[in-house]
Order: sequence, then structure tokens, then C-alpha cells
Amino acid sequence: MNEHKTLTRTEVSVGDKLPAADIDITTGLVVCGALATRDFEPVHHSKAAAQAVGLPDVFMNILTSQGLMTRFATDWSGPEAIVKSVDLRLGAPNVPGMVMTVSGEVTTLDEDSGLVELAVIGENNIWGMHMQGTVQLTLPKES
Amino acid sequence: MTTDEQKAIESEIYAFVGQQVYPPTPAADDVNDAMIRQWAEIMGDTNPAYLDKDWAASSSREGTIAPPAMMYVWGQEGFQVTKGRAPNAMSNLVSTFDSYGYTGVLGTNVKQEYFKEVSPGDNITIEMIIDNISERKATGRGTGYFFETLSTFTDQHGEKIGTQRFKVLKFIPQEQPATAAPEGKLDVPSRIASPRGHDNKWWWEACDNGKVLIQRCDNCGALRHPPRPMCGECNSMEWDSIESTLDGEVLSHTEIHHPKIPGYQYPLVCAVIKLAEGTNLVANIVGCSPSEVQIGMKVKGVVEQIDEKTMLPQFYPAQSGRNP
Amino acid sequence: MIANVKNKAVIVGIGNTTFSKDSGVSELSLAVQAVKAAIDDAGLKPSDIDGMATFTMDTNDEIEVARALGVGELTFYGRSHYGGGAATSCLHQATMAISTGMAETVVVYRALNGRSGHRFSGGVAGDITTADAIHWGWYMPYGLLTPASWVAMFTQRWMHNTGVTKDALFEVAHSTRVYGANNPAAFFHGRNFDRAEYDAARMIADPLQLFDCCQESDGGSAVIVTTPERARDLKQPGVSVLGVAQCAADNQEQMTSFYREEFAGIPEMETAAKNVYAMSGLCVDDIDAAVIYDAFSPIVLWQLEAWGFCGYGESGDFVKDGALRTNGRLPTNTHGGQLSEAYIHGVNGIVEATRLVRGTSANQPKKAVNHALVTSGVGIPTGGAILGKMN
Repeated sequence: MNEHKTLTRTEVSVGDKLPAADIDITTGLVVCGALATRDFEPVHHSKAAAQAVGLPDVFMNILTSQGLMTRFATDWSGPEAIVKSVDLRLGAPNVPGMVMTVSGEVTTLDEDSGLVELAVIGENNIWGMHMQGTVQLTLPKES
Repeated sequence: MTTDEQKAIESEIYAFVGQQVYPPTPAADDVNDAMIRQWAEIMGDTNPAYLDKDWAASSSREGTIAPPAMMYVWGQEGFQVTKGRAPNAMSNLVSTFDSYGYTGVLGTNVKQEYFKEVSPGDNITIEMIIDNISERKATGRGTGYFFETLSTFTDQHGEKIGTQRFKVLKFIPQEQPATAAPEGKLDVPSRIASPRGHDNKWWWEACDNGKVLIQRCDNCGALRHPPRPMCGECNSMEWDSIESTLDGEVLSHTEIHHPKIPGYQYPLVCAVIKLAEGTNLVANIVGCSPSEVQIGMKVKGVVEQIDEKTMLPQFYPAQSGRNP
Repeated sequence: MIANVKNKAVIVGIGNTTFSKDSGVSELSLAVQAVKAAIDDAGLKPSDIDGMATFTMDTNDEIEVARALGVGELTFYGRSHYGGGAATSCLHQATMAISTGMAETVVVYRALNGRSGHRFSGGVAGDITTADAIHWGWYMPYGLLTPASWVAMFTQRWMHNTGVTKDALFEVAHSTRVYGANNPAAFFHGRNFDRAEYDAARMIADPLQLFDCCQESDGGSAVIVTTPERARDLKQPGVSVLGVAQCAADNQEQMTSFYREEFAGIPEMETAAKNVYAMSGLCVDDIDAAVIYDAFSPIVLWQLEAWGFCGYGESGDFVKDGALRTNGRLPTNTHGGQLSEAYIHGVNGIVEATRLVRGTSANQPKKAVNHALVTSGVGIPTGGAILGKMN
């Protein structure tokens, strides 16, 4: 049944790098991400509101950043992994026209419980660090 | 701010600690496939645990789940927030900060922990309190306080499914927000340019045109850099210049790690380079990894366009084959 | 010709504010608190002050400090340039004013919100004067725009020339932190610090890591200088200025003297040292303890060489033998220095050097301290002074 492979705890080592992902920050992603997370604060869908707080354009809301960070982790792990926590620090805003590169690596691994911790960073090409933090996942024993 | 003012604000804000922002409130909608699909499409998430009922039925979970990162989404207030929010402990706290001049606001950290996965049909209840407020801190944005809300999420069985901690900085802005760029054009930061005055403008204009010049005394022929109005050897104020071949040798170097400045590309190596003509020049070393840069290394420079506004000499290892 | 200033000016009062990362008060408030503390320490009244010396970088005008304190008339005010290079230059100004009779009692002060206000680590990209901006313009476009990056450039070449390693930089950083741990006024008070923490800290500009760099602090420091005649009537034992000098050497730039034939050195400090020794009639063997300007760990090493405690390139072995420790050849930066106490642009160092001669340092060496050296920042026009017990 399984064309969707999930990494097992024996297939992962501390220091493993996750495949980096480039995400185009478009107006569509910013506005639709805000709506998909039911965040209707005007700064995320109204350019005028964003400019009134000193930014050039609408900027990504936190729940979208958090969603992208989780996706980055589960894209790597596969669907049977269970997400235990997402802890992120926010940096510079993501604004349309930028490209955010997300990268990460395995920092801890508990083979008994299958709990892995990933250090993840998303940096945009204009202002640098947008989000930085950790995602914890539990990996299955066997596939 | 005087100590008295600090005492006054702190006596007000610390009273908010422990207050409820939202009493336990069930979400208007149950966890549902439509909102999950919309979220996944927009995030670009193809995880079959969220989307593929057949796959999920045969998986260890025996059914689809909601993306854990949607935990806070289910209980969000709706479109009415564009017209303003009903007052609660958080908005009152924010107004208190504002009244003391702590008008700046910046979400700094969010941490979600998940104890139980939820599936379509479940209903999520959120309860939020103001959990803690820091002491006064000096930050890069200005002096301020961090406050943290703690949200607790339960399902329809009263089982705790997760928590969220959200930390916000309220600060006294150090300066007015930057005005928006004209026509909303993204203002891409560039490298910090040298100011141009009588004694250095000609050098930077030549650099704009792709040349590195070295000032030469008209009287005694001594070369000098950086440019200055009089020759220290013979006191002549007459000068012309020669163009450097940009053949050089590294006298010293450093890789700049911190702080990272907007408009600069990292890794970033700066070096003092002895040019073949005999004067020294500070510039960047590129075209090799920072760890390959050595004192005594031969380099070859070229004036390059670094960004929209900046032309600068950049030096490559002379033997790299990558040099211009 | 060597100036004849020996024993003509005496430090009679010292004062520090609390050092912090967020003072919550103006720089002027810090300045007057520090000056008042020094006046009280001396047993003087504000109206006894008739001269002031501070940094060109200080934002507190002498007349504002005077009005806030009720000083009244000032007959001397002089400022010294070049950042931390001004530390002992202010003492130099005070000594000249007193020995020539331009003033009788001069306060040297420096106060800054160096953490909560303008931070030096932010570099020179912000507001700076036009003349300076032209100078920094040769470096800013390349990203070489913080004090750490300029010092790193010298350090890399000096380590290459001499073979000195980070073991020596660590010893400078570690010895001051041990002192700071025992000084209640210091940021490092009560803190442990070891090689693992030093090595693990983030790189700032290689080879300098976080703990090679000084604090960024809010605070103020002041010292009162007067004539020997006046000093004899005051409550503290007088600490005489035995020699004081400033120097800008050939082909000098501010922090970026990269155009000398060999730039991994500080010839300006060698000249200042020679002149201070000549004025005081003392030699290197007479120096019992020191406060050596330590914005960054390697600059302490270069100064040990410039003042003749060891030869060029030998400072690494000198410090690794424990010379800077409390029982060593030259107990140094016993307040914790600017690496571990606070960064008050070296004026807290003049306060500490005075304490060393008085015998009141939090880390007072067991041996007698008859002569203490105190220096200004380097990489810039600089200087130093030797202090000793008043006869």
C-alpha cells in the first residue's frame, strides 16, 4: 500500500541534513496562508495596512510560517511520523518577491522512543532569518 | 523613564498575569476536511495522513488526521476582527502598554506542543491566559517587556490535545517606522556606500566605472591610498592617478560572522591586500571558501556589480581558474 | 624633551555608578552620579571642582554636568578624541591643567548607555560625522564595519607573524573573568567560565569569538584630580600621576592603520610607554600591577609587549605562565576589566588602578602595589599612565 515512505528510527542519525527547500513568497501565499489559518488581521491581506506599520507590502502571518516549518519536517520524515512540538523564533518578515530557503538537520535522536529533534531555519534572500527553531517528531520502529 | 514611572507601569501590567483572555470556548466548526484541504493546498503540504482517506485507513492511524499546526486555527475569531476585537485581558494589557508609550509590538516566539492527534469530527476548545510578563529589558527594537500567553486545547472528551505559548514584545519604538517605498516597490537593502567628498569622490566614481585607481603625487611620484589632498613626502598638492592591475597578495583577513548586516552576502571575507603597485587596499575575497584564505595568498581582483547600487573590487584566488 | 609632570597631579576621588545592561536613566544622570560619587569619595564639595575632562564621544556637556551638580565656575574643560584612546588622555588633560595652574581640581568622567542606547557592536553604519564617514567609507561597503572586525584583521596577522595561539587569548579572557567573578560590581560576578564555554561561543569575526569581546554596558565612571597641596588635606590617600602620555604614530588611522609597512603592531603605544617611563623615572620592573585596556582579548597581549613586559611575540608565553593572575608577575585587570566588569571606555580602569595603589581592589594582590600602570584603547591614537602613592 505504501508509496508514502516514512523514515524509521534506525534510518536516521544525528547530523543528517534535511533536503533544503526554496519557497517563493508570493502575494497569493501570504494572503491565502492567512485565510487558511483564519488570521484576518489586515496587515496580512491589505497592503495599505501593512505599509501603515512600515513594511512595503503584506507580510506572512505566524501560523503560515509554522505550517511551512511543519510541512518541511514531515516532507522529510514521511506521513507516519507524529509531530510532537514546533518551537519557533521569529525574525525578519516574509514579504512578496522574496524567496525563503528552509534548511534543517537532526540534532537529537532517542532510539528507544523514536523521538527526533530537528533544528530548522528559514532564511529569506533579502532580510535574512525569518524563522528559526526546532520540530520534534516521533518516528516509527519499522515501516 | 524614571523609576517612579517604571513602578507605575509594572504595578499595572503585572496584575494581568494569570488573567483569562478566553474562557474555555468550543470552536464554531468541528475539525473538517474542507478546511484541512484548503490549508494543505496553500501550504503545499501533500501529506496523505491529512488528505488521502484510503491511504490513511490502511495506515497505523486508521483514518485521516488534521495537521497539528492547525490546532490554533479551529478556534480563531473570524472576519469580524477587521472591524476590531471585543475587549479582553490581552487587549486591555496591550492598551496599558500603549498608554505608557510601549506602542511597538512584535511577536517573537511561538511554541506548540501536541499531546494527541485530532481527526475530522472532533471539536476543539481553547482556553487562553496571560501566563507571564518579563522584567523590563533593553532589546534591539527598544526597551520593553515580553508577555507570554498560554493556550490550552482540549477535545470534546475533555482530553488535553496540546498547548501553545506565544511570546510578544511590547516596546518603546526607537524611531518612527520606515516609510513605505514608493509604489510599494520592495526596498532591497544594498551595501552601505561610502559618502563622497572632495578628496575621495573621484576614486569611487572610477570604481563605478570598473577601475581601481591609486593616487600619485605629480611632483615626486609617490603613490598613496586612501586618497588625501597633500603628499606626505613632498607636500605637493598636485596629483594624478594610475590604474591598478589588481594583482595582489593577502596581508591579513577576517571572516565576518556577527552581526549580519542587511544588504551583505554571507559568508563574507574582508582582507587587507597589498597591490602589485605597492599600496594596500581593503576589499573582499570571493571565489573560494573562507577557510581557504591565507596570509600570503596571491589574489586577482575585478570590479564587480554587487547589488543594484554598488560596484566594488572583489578579489579571487589567483590560481583558482575562477578568477576573471 | 620630556614633560615634567611627575607628582604634580594627584587622584583623590573615584566613583562608579551601578553598571547594567539597561540603566533606565539618561547618560547625563549617569555622568552626574559618577562625578558626585567621586567628589564624595574625595571629601570635596561640587563647588571645589573648577575643571572637567572627558571624551569627544561623551554626550554630556561639561556645562550640563556642572549645572546639574551645582559646580559653579569652570576655568578648564578639554576633550580627548579617538574612542577608548581617550581614557588616559583625559587624565593627561587634567594633569596638564593642574600642573600649569589652569585649574586646581579637575574631574575626569565618562558615562554612556552603551547597551540600552547606542551600541558599539552595531558598527559605524549609523550616524557619524562627515569627516569620519569618509574614513569609514573605505571599509563599510565591504562589511568591515565593527570594532571586532577591525581588531580581528590586526589579530589574524599578528598571530600569523608570532605563532601566538588562542590559548593566550583564552588566558586573557579567563583571568579577567576570574577577577570579575569576585567583584560584586562586575557583570561576571559569581559566574563560572571555562575553556569549553569559551570555545563553544559564537564566532564574531575570526579569530575573535564572543568571549574575546568586552561587555556593552550602561554606566559612568569618574576620578577627581587635584594638586598635591590640596590632596594632603583630603580624606583619601593621594594617588599621584607619575607619568602620563598620549601618542598618535606615523601613518595612523582610527582602528584601521592597515597602510604601515608592518601593521601588526602598535607603535603609538611604544612611544607613549617610552615617554611615561622617562617622565616617571621608572622602568618596567617597577610596575607591580596593571589595568590594560581590554576591549578585546588580543589587545592586552600587544600592550604587554609595547610596555616591555616581554618582547614582540612573547606575550603568549608571558600570560600562559600566569603573569596576569593575582600571584603572578603582573596582576592585571583585577576589577575584571572591560571583558568582565563593564565597558566604560577605560575610565573604570583608572578607578581600578587608583584602588590598586590605595590597596582597596576587590582582588587586591598580596604584594605591595607601589606603581600601577593604566592604559587607553589601542588601534587608535592612545596613551597610558603610571600611578603611585603620593609622597
